[in-house]
Amino acid sequence: MGLSSKKRRHWLQRSLILAGGLLAAGSAWVAGVPDRWWDPGEGRVFPAQLDLPNEAGSLRVILVDGPMPTRGHPFFEPLGKYGRACVTCHQPADGMSLSAASAQEQWRRNGHKDPLFAAYDGSNCPDLPQDRRESHSLLLDHGLIRIPRPWPPRAADGSVITPDFTIEVERDPTGCNLSKTWGLASKEPTISVYRRPRPVANMKYIEAMGFNFDPKQGLPLPVDPETGKPASGNLMADRRVLTLEAQMRDAAHHHLGFREKLSAGDIARIRDFESRVYVAQQSSRVGGDLDSGGAQGGPAMLRDSPAGRLGSQGIPVWSEFDAWAKADEDPGLTPEQREWRKSVARGAEIFRERTFLINDSSGINSRIGFGNPMRDRCAFCHNMSQMGMDVAPGQVDLGTTTLPYADPAPHLPLFKITCTGQPHPHYGREIYTHDPGFALTTGRCADVGKITLQTMRGLAARPPYFSNGAAKTLREVVEYYDRRYNIGFSEQEIQDLVNLMEAL
Amino acid sequence: MRLRRTLMLWAWLLPALASAAPAREDVQFIACPAYRDTDAGRKSGCWLATSRVDGLRYDITRSPTKPDWNHAVLVEGQVAEGAADTCGGIVLDPVRVSVLPDACPRMMLPAQGAPGVRFGLPRRNVRPPHEAREIYTKGSEPKLIQVPFDYGNDFTIYQLADYYMQQATLFAQDTSPSRIEVVGYAATTPWTVAGRVLQEDPALARARAERVALWLRLTGVDPDIIEVRVGSEDKVVPMEGADGLREPSRRRVDVILHP
Repeated sequence: MGLSSKKRRHWLQRSLILAGGLLAAGSAWVAGVPDRWWDPGEGRVFPAQLDLPNEAGSLRVILVDGPMPTRGHPFFEPLGKYGRACVTCHQPADGMSLSAASAQEQWRRNGHKDPLFAAYDGSNCPDLPQDRRESHSLLLDHGLIRIPRPWPPRAADGSVITPDFTIEVERDPTGCNLSKTWGLASKEPTISVYRRPRPVANMKYIEAMGFNFDPKQGLPLPVDPETGKPASGNLMADRRVLTLEAQMRDAAHHHLGFREKLSAGDIARIRDFESRVYVAQQSSRVGGDLDSGGAQGGPAMLRDSPAGRLGSQGIPVWSEFDAWAKADEDPGLTPEQREWRKSVARGAEIFRERTFLINDSSGINSRIGFGNPMRDRCAFCHNMSQMGMDVAPGQVDLGTTTLPYADPAPHLPLFKITCTGQPHPHYGREIYTHDPGFALTTGRCADVGKITLQTMRGLAARPPYFSNGAAKTLREVVEYYDRRYNIGFSEQEIQDLVNLMEAL
Repeated sequence: MRLRRTLMLWAWLLPALASAAPAREDVQFIACPAYRDTDAGRKSGCWLATSRVDGLRYDITRSPTKPDWNHAVLVEGQVAEGAADTCGGIVLDPVRVSVLPDACPRMMLPAQGAPGVRFGLPRRNVRPPHEAREIYTKGSEPKLIQVPFDYGNDFTIYQLADYYMQQATLFAQDTSPSRIEVVGYAATTPWTVAGRVLQEDPALARARAERVALWLRLTGVDPDIIEVRVGSEDKVVPMEGADGLREPSRRRVDVILHP
């Protein structure tokens, strides 16, 4: 079943050495091998198609109607006082997200002076000594960016939401939540949570409104207060803003330190770029091209498919790889390729068909009446064709950030939530969480721990996984689910699911 | 004037609805549910509940709202004549389950050979906007759409209440009504189930009406034509969304769209 991890590392090392060696020759674009890191303002031309190696094979980035000069483009130019651009945390080689490995490489190159490590959110807390590695450990070791959230929560119009819970800092390893300047007792009371950057690609799927209805809230889709139009609700981990435009302003202010107002022209240019970028794994180092042998992997399929369709009523989720169930019939494949392709096809089937009991997960087992427990599959929530997101707004509590389900995370803050109204439907009145998630937007105790499902494309390029980086590998993702829901995956099933996710 | 028009509307609707009136007897009881872990694909587990009234175990799986194994449920249903027992209980269909605050011990039964119930998409479900649909035409009479609710709850019942709310939205979009009355009802008149007196909080009537009105507003219906009020009586009425069950019809919102 594929190469050993030692061989994988060697293969990746060779790819990176090749890329590094070519770059050392003095060009960012030598023989089609780009630098993996895209610096703000470096002015490269963004090609129509870009293949970037990773441990599992290679990722392809497509820019519809590309190539595009990036000199002067607001996605690529440093805008604020931190010297960052959007691209700093949305790197093409990392599936338009940011991997912990890339952060480590930037630290090795530039130390804390690299704009990525800006004190405001690229360190564990701005008041820590910035020249020390340990002050940036969450970003370096877990790929996490600090997300400051106002307390109590604010509505889109800035008004204060009265929450139905209180929040206390139970443990504060970064010091930020107890900081007099940045914490809960500061002049502007703030909760610092730490999250992975989300991919900025395949946006038509993220913005798609496959249904007009959010069954988890029992209401139509949320309406953006600015435009008065409904929105998918799938953009942000905590749904704190609803539109790409609002996200741009939020990100420019917080992550770039841009204190002016983004111009309408800049917003339009960023939207235009983001709506044209498609990302997916294109080839496997074991199985070969992901769009060969009858399979339809890779980003071209994403570019060409309608977005926001429910897999159970249309094109089944990951049926792109169904043809590989018959890989034995292809005489042109090596035995290793055959086995890997069959494994991916099995993984897709397991994802769609293997049922297990889902229990005590708000957004699934409450408040909506699916039942607690209910028997379903991965594809129940990861239900969007070609993308594996939730067609409905995907705010669900899997327990990744909240005790007792969350894995030990001594590096993260721990908050004590006390529900002052109705108790949480599953956790009761007192909850301990590393990240209250959606509840920091709504102020509702019932939303504690809910994190929006995200896209499943380009996964191999952007470890670690889950919003808090709790899973270092795709295997750890599967193993978390196996523990959380007592699924009882066999070793073969785990490997099949890992291979599937590496093919996405 | 408004009352007269509403009465006229009922006078117009009742004969048609009466012909579909239930003939079967309603089964009602409160119990701790048991989950039977059958596997016939997605959403195929069984929900069972034993009535203390007659000592029988019923299969309540077909309710739009499924139980939570931590809480007691109010079961309201009718025995489905001739339905095969695939879970280990007498099949209730139609059936409504309302989750009550009362705590219950978690109970899970193994399948023990029970095949379970293979999931089929309920006929009342909200369809995606990219699908073609029937366009409503404006009539000369008011249109009544009734939205059912679970006991003690103002949350939208998935694949039941949402369907009717969406119907109201689509009807409003297609016909541009001059006025929409949204009238909430709660079962405030006490009734007894297995020796326990049940009575809904009167505030639920408004909360339900407000939820439906919010749905209409969020889907683009002009807020100025929406009138929200609370119904004065919680009588049992014939109602499509209750599927012939009596008591659930007292927990509803009437949406009356005037031409």
